[in-house]
Amino acid sequence: MLFDLALYFGLLSLISVGGIPSVLPEMQRYVVDVRQWATAADFMQMFAIGQAAPGPNVLIAGLIGWKVAGLAGAFVALGAICGPAALVAYWVAGVWERMKDSPWRAVAQRAMAPMVVGLIFSGGFVLATPGNVPDWRLWLIAVASAVALLATRLNPIWLLAAGGLAGGFLL
Amino acid sequence: MLGDVRPPRNLSELFSGFLAIGARSFGGVMPWAYRVMVEERRWISAADFTETVGLCQFLPGPNIGNTSVVLGKRWFGWRGSIVGFCGLVAVPFVWVLGLAAFYADYATIPLVRAIVIGVGAAGAGLFIGTALKLGRPLARNPGAWVVAMGCFLAVAVGRVSLLAVVPVAAAVAFFLAWRKWL
Repeated sequence: MLFDLALYFGLLSLISVGGIPSVLPEMQRYVVDVRQWATAADFMQMFAIGQAAPGPNVLIAGLIGWKVAGLAGAFVALGAICGPAALVAYWVAGVWERMKDSPWRAVAQRAMAPMVVGLIFSGGFVLATPGNVPDWRLWLIAVASAVALLATRLNPIWLLAAGGLAGGFLL
Repeated sequence: MLGDVRPPRNLSELFSGFLAIGARSFGGVMPWAYRVMVEERRWISAADFTETVGLCQFLPGPNIGNTSVVLGKRWFGWRGSIVGFCGLVAVPFVWVLGLAAFYADYATIPLVRAIVIGVGAAGAGLFIGTALKLGRPLARNPGAWVVAMGCFLAVAVGRVSLLAVVPVAAAVAFFLAWRKWL
């Protein structure tokens, strides 16, 4: 099980363009639907805890790993989701400097930017639509939160708190 | 201005700096990374921060996580990368597991579950908002719309696996960028 976890998360790591938001739906599909390591409700809760805690969102991987295989699972999952990508970053960092004046650097930047946008957006969209059936209440909270992020300078932690409050009333 | 910059002198300083970022980063790591690295400790300039984070943003993996690897490498090689990264996630890791353990006791109470699901929905909204923020500079670029919409249709509507979408989207995007249609 640890091996499966490491392998799958390692693979996800390499395609996690845009970070964790991009791969969360895929992670959910695998963990909940394919392997049944957790229920959809569990997953949503782990996601919420990961968001509410300090630090990068990627820590949700640690939670999933913990649920699947205890503390060892937590370390393995977190290491696997970060490791391969970190290695890529490590390697690219060197290359990037040397390519400073190359036109390919600009090509790469122009190419990746819209992908990041599309994938992160999709990640949020899918997370707001668990079970493929839109729930207007979840959508209301998600849209309000997105608007608040764009229109205000509030620390996102308050937006999460507001979401929790709304959830308590609506759900 | 360059004279103002004081990169960490040793691995301990690197570690403690990233530890501080991780520990204080409620609501999002990026603003705190900026605050600690650019404003408080003056490790790098604002321009350098923006450029480094910009690079890390379009690499796979967590944005600020990659930044810790890249900057750690710059100052102390592979040891720096490891130390920086571990410093970043150390406190959050403990927090997250502690929070989960604490929460587990209350997880079955319906009101608690409702609140948590609400937090999750807000979190999803934050992703959407972040994507829109990142997309603003690209709004007038039709090629960018093609790539972004393509990704959205494939992932969110078609529910195609990312393992297929990412390589294909990257190939298309690189082609468009190379031909200057992006």
